[in-house]
Amino acid sequence: MPIFEVNDLHLHYLTRFGAKIHAVAGVSFSMEQGEILGIAGESGCGKSTLVNGLMGLFIPPLYPTSGDVRVGGESLMGRTPKDIRENVLARKVSMIPQGAINALNPTRKIKHLAMDLIKSHEKGGNKNEIQKRLYDRFNLLGLDAERVLNSFPIELTAGERQRSVIGLTTLLDPEMVIADEPTSALDVTTQKAVIKLIFNLLDKKIFSTMIFITHELPLLRHVAHRIAIMYAGQFVELGTAEQVVFDPRHPYTRALMDAMLSAEPGQAKKETKPLEGAPPNLAHPISGCRFAARCPSAKPDCRINEQSLRIVGERQVRCDYAE
Amino acid sequence: MKLFLNLLKTPSFVFGVTLFLATLGVALVLPWFYDVDTVGRAGTPYLPPSAEHLLGTNHLGVDFVSLLITGLRASLYVGLLAGCIATLLGTFLGVYAGYKGGWIDDLINLVTNLFIVIPYFVVLILISASLEEGRSLQLIAVIIGLTTWPWTTRSVRAQAASLKSRDHIGLAKVNGCGTFQIVTLHILPYLLSYVFMVFIIQIAAGILVEASISMIGLGPYDSISLGVLMDDAMKNEALGDGIWWAFIPSTILITAVVFALYTLNTSMEGVFNPRLRK
Repeated sequence: MPIFEVNDLHLHYLTRFGAKIHAVAGVSFSMEQGEILGIAGESGCGKSTLVNGLMGLFIPPLYPTSGDVRVGGESLMGRTPKDIRENVLARKVSMIPQGAINALNPTRKIKHLAMDLIKSHEKGGNKNEIQKRLYDRFNLLGLDAERVLNSFPIELTAGERQRSVIGLTTLLDPEMVIADEPTSALDVTTQKAVIKLIFNLLDKKIFSTMIFITHELPLLRHVAHRIAIMYAGQFVELGTAEQVVFDPRHPYTRALMDAMLSAEPGQAKKETKPLEGAPPNLAHPISGCRFAARCPSAKPDCRINEQSLRIVGERQVRCDYAE
Repeated sequence: MKLFLNLLKTPSFVFGVTLFLATLGVALVLPWFYDVDTVGRAGTPYLPPSAEHLLGTNHLGVDFVSLLITGLRASLYVGLLAGCIATLLGTFLGVYAGYKGGWIDDLINLVTNLFIVIPYFVVLILISASLEEGRSLQLIAVIIGLTTWPWTTRSVRAQAASLKSRDHIGLAKVNGCGTFQIVTLHILPYLLSYVFMVFIIQIAAGILVEASISMIGLGPYDSISLGVLMDDAMKNEALGDGIWWAFIPSTILITAVVFALYTLNTSMEGVFNPRLRK
């Protein structure tokens, strides 16, 4: 049975003037225990909105339109914010935030941040027992638990802070961890170090199932089992990492790969080809293929026909003409 | 602790603290050594300062030092109470509006702006004037507190709104913190130094506002404050008769207290705000 199921999820933002912006429009996928799914796409394609939806974290102006998200068979839709806070966040689905280095409250010690987290999810725990659990977990992360827990974030190195954040978010052993661009805005060496850290944690079985969100496609190949490419609120291609990176079938995935310069061997002399145009405005209804306006191989009927996911070359592609 | 040492290194802070403690001493410690009597007649009306009555007597012949001690105590009490109310109310509304956003923010903003554009002094006069009876010191303080909060709300709201998009608030949110927890544990500690400074200013403002409305005769009926003393001096033509001891000492006391509080505030700003730190 899949541990995480997303079924035709639609999410929208409500603007002050009553307009709806459909940031996520029909995302479906499911994940097995121990699987790592990468989601990539350009800025503004709905990645971060999707993340909020996957956690059931609907903070106005974000609202669910339709669809379902199930974690371990349990739906996240139609539940009260309090219920989501106490029973889902950090316990079932957890997130490693963007810019993890700055994600610790500078006015509180790591110990207190961790205690807050445990106290808001578990009623009446034994203090010594919680303390022991904290020490064990931070030692397992390769940190000097005694020192790190009793420090303010400013006293720690960037690496220690990153580990502490991951330690905090995975403290309650969530079934699913979502990493939202943990490597963006980092240099290549640091990116590799973060990836190494995540593998390290996977090896130690601190968590096993993960969604990894980034716009660094080549990086995903090292991390993810499967990769989903997102465009204008929809998945346009979903296949194994090898398929998507080395043999992309959707025109957008191809354009994305062409526009990417990566620090991989054999890519040094590659020339990048940027894609003209901009994604469609999601505030208005879109007819036909969302990518048609920018697609190099668009046919006349692409602008009329709604594209649906179909199986091409053993993976899902949202294009009627992909081969 | 280190912050406190830094404060002690700032001359203006030391000056402000000394001046404020001195006025506190006059209000709270001096009565132990001085026989305070604000009712009994100590001599004939408007006795000039002498060895027996250091600052003379008022129009009823009551010893002025006693009156000043009592008045200062009342003024400080009004300032503290009004400052507490205004700061608590302003901070709470500001943080809540700034963090929540949306229509709650719009509503609180609307009320704040309303209070800012309506001259609060007029509101104060109207409220005080309509309360013919039972205009006690506490009531005056509460009214002052309830009308001077808008500027606090406004600045706190702006800071809370900018804080809420910080990464660590996001982490707290995805880790399942509720609004109350985020506001108290993650936003308020950031604002504490600012709120403390605002609190000091609010105390000073409370003292000044009380003195102003008391001076035009709308002050408390049941007690003596520095403003009431000035009102008495005005009503009894002390200025025209050249009886300086009826109003100069109380003016100096009010100026000293407010000046001390403002000095404290500015000196703290220099230490709390890293950009101004030398």
